[in-house]
Amino acid sequence: MISSLLFILFAGMAIGCAVSVVVQRHPLYGAISLVGVFISLACLYVTLAAPFIAAVQVIVYAGAIMVLVVFVIMLLNVQREERRRPRLRFLVGAAVALAGVLFAEAAFIIYFVQASPATPRNNASDIGLTFSIGTGLFTQYLLPFEITSLLLLMAIVGAMTLARSGGLLRPNLAVVPGAQVLAPDVINPRAPAGAGLIVTTTSDEAARVLGVEGTHRVRDEE
Amino acid sequence: MDWNNQYIHSVVMLVAITVAFLTIMLLVAFTVLAERRVLGFIQGRLGPNRVGPGGILQPFADFIKTMVKEDLVPDQSTRFVFLLAPMIAVITAMMAIIVYPFGPTITLPFLGTFPLRIAQFDVALLYVLGVTSVGVYGIALAGWSSNNKYSLMGGLRSSAQMISYELSLGLSLVGVVIMSGTLDIYHIVEQQSGWFGMHWNIIYQPLGFIIYLISAIAETNRVPFDLPEAETELVAGFHTEYSSIKFLLFFNAEYINMITVSMLATTLFLGGWNGPGVAQFPLLGVLYFFAKILFFLFLYIWLRGTLPRFRFDQLMSFGWKFLLPVAILNIILTATLAMFGWI
Repeated sequence: MISSLLFILFAGMAIGCAVSVVVQRHPLYGAISLVGVFISLACLYVTLAAPFIAAVQVIVYAGAIMVLVVFVIMLLNVQREERRRPRLRFLVGAAVALAGVLFAEAAFIIYFVQASPATPRNNASDIGLTFSIGTGLFTQYLLPFEITSLLLLMAIVGAMTLARSGGLLRPNLAVVPGAQVLAPDVINPRAPAGAGLIVTTTSDEAARVLGVEGTHRVRDEE
Repeated sequence: MDWNNQYIHSVVMLVAITVAFLTIMLLVAFTVLAERRVLGFIQGRLGPNRVGPGGILQPFADFIKTMVKEDLVPDQSTRFVFLLAPMIAVITAMMAIIVYPFGPTITLPFLGTFPLRIAQFDVALLYVLGVTSVGVYGIALAGWSSNNKYSLMGGLRSSAQMISYELSLGLSLVGVVIMSGTLDIYHIVEQQSGWFGMHWNIIYQPLGFIIYLISAIAETNRVPFDLPEAETELVAGFHTEYSSIKFLLFFNAEYINMITVSMLATTLFLGGWNGPGVAQFPLLGVLYFFAKILFFLFLYIWLRGTLPRFRFDQLMSFGWKFLLPVAILNIILTATLAMFGWI
């Protein structure tokens, strides 16, 4: 009784926030609504006897990833999205069809779950506990776990590399020909101050020094 | 009395939550007063001593004064978020309180035996970390929605600082978790009850304790890490535009956060309610618990009175390049020792 009431409450919150993510015109409101979705989902996990997953959901998604998203929106001071005529009108039909498929799937699953005989799992409430998750991760699922951590490490290294090379210049900037006088800390943020200026005479050289070869237009013809 | 009865249980929970709430609010009020008096003492002046005997009613006078002030909303601000931000700040600050055990299981005449805690569950420690990490939104959104450059800078600084120090804060606790083998704060406290109540985790985790203490001060935006509201640079940081009850909520949230991080330090490192004589007189445990919290609160005020503020780049490089590696080192050390069964 109480558990189904809670389910209706949190599921309703999740759906409401999810609709709000799509409908909101301001990116920050969308981000806040997405946080609401994550927190409602975490509450649903708690009612499903998976407290560890719920805590991790809040810490990782609501507490870390979305904070970064909000942070970037604040930093760039993104304004309200302009309301203009939708250009991708032909996708509306496809979206409606896909939504229909999704609802049909959900109805199919609900029907078969209801129809199948109830078979209570043993210790169903122990599966979500920290101890059982930890034991599973470090014994039976050790290899996938380690592979995932390697993947994450690679992603971190990749992000660092991408941010380092030419990250200080916007990609739509063009490197113009002629002599360019550049302070050393423009090229390398870790360079000590007062190391002397760098003078480039051609745009190719400038692009190479700036580390933006191939990513930026080089206007030599003009 | 049958404590397992569903209805009695819910009534008891409501009473317990109310008591905890009032206790925390009183503690906040008197921490504010103590801060002003102790700072006055450190700086060779008296501090507020006019309202009531020794100024003891000063926080209530301040409360009434702030409540009746005009509630300003900046013209170009986003009203909904402006209202939402202080609520997030104070609610997340308060939500963390329910997992801390105030004392051991006690037996009272006429009432029977019951444990002095509100909630006990498997992932209490992760719950605290999760709730704390959501608290960042309060400050970030406050800074953004005020439509004020000082507020925005304060909000950005604060979110950057809290994200950075949350990592070392979380990692400094992993040592204790490795030792106790559980995330349940009540069990962690119970495990420290040996040696006449002096078998505290700080003996095995001195490094973790120091890292926790530093990150906790940064996490609560207190001196010497109070960059988000550095008066000389940012007026009042993220709450520049807030007045009246909304300001009061932010103010409350800051002090509640101080109290909750003190509670976490007490329960994880200083044995919670454990101390000499608790086994014979369980009510003594409550006294020990609050004495330890008051010690941490005094430490906060003491630091504020004596230390200058960091610069922002110093703060960041200290957090990422020193505190985080040391926290990871602490985990490796603890894990190695635990693997050989030495702790």
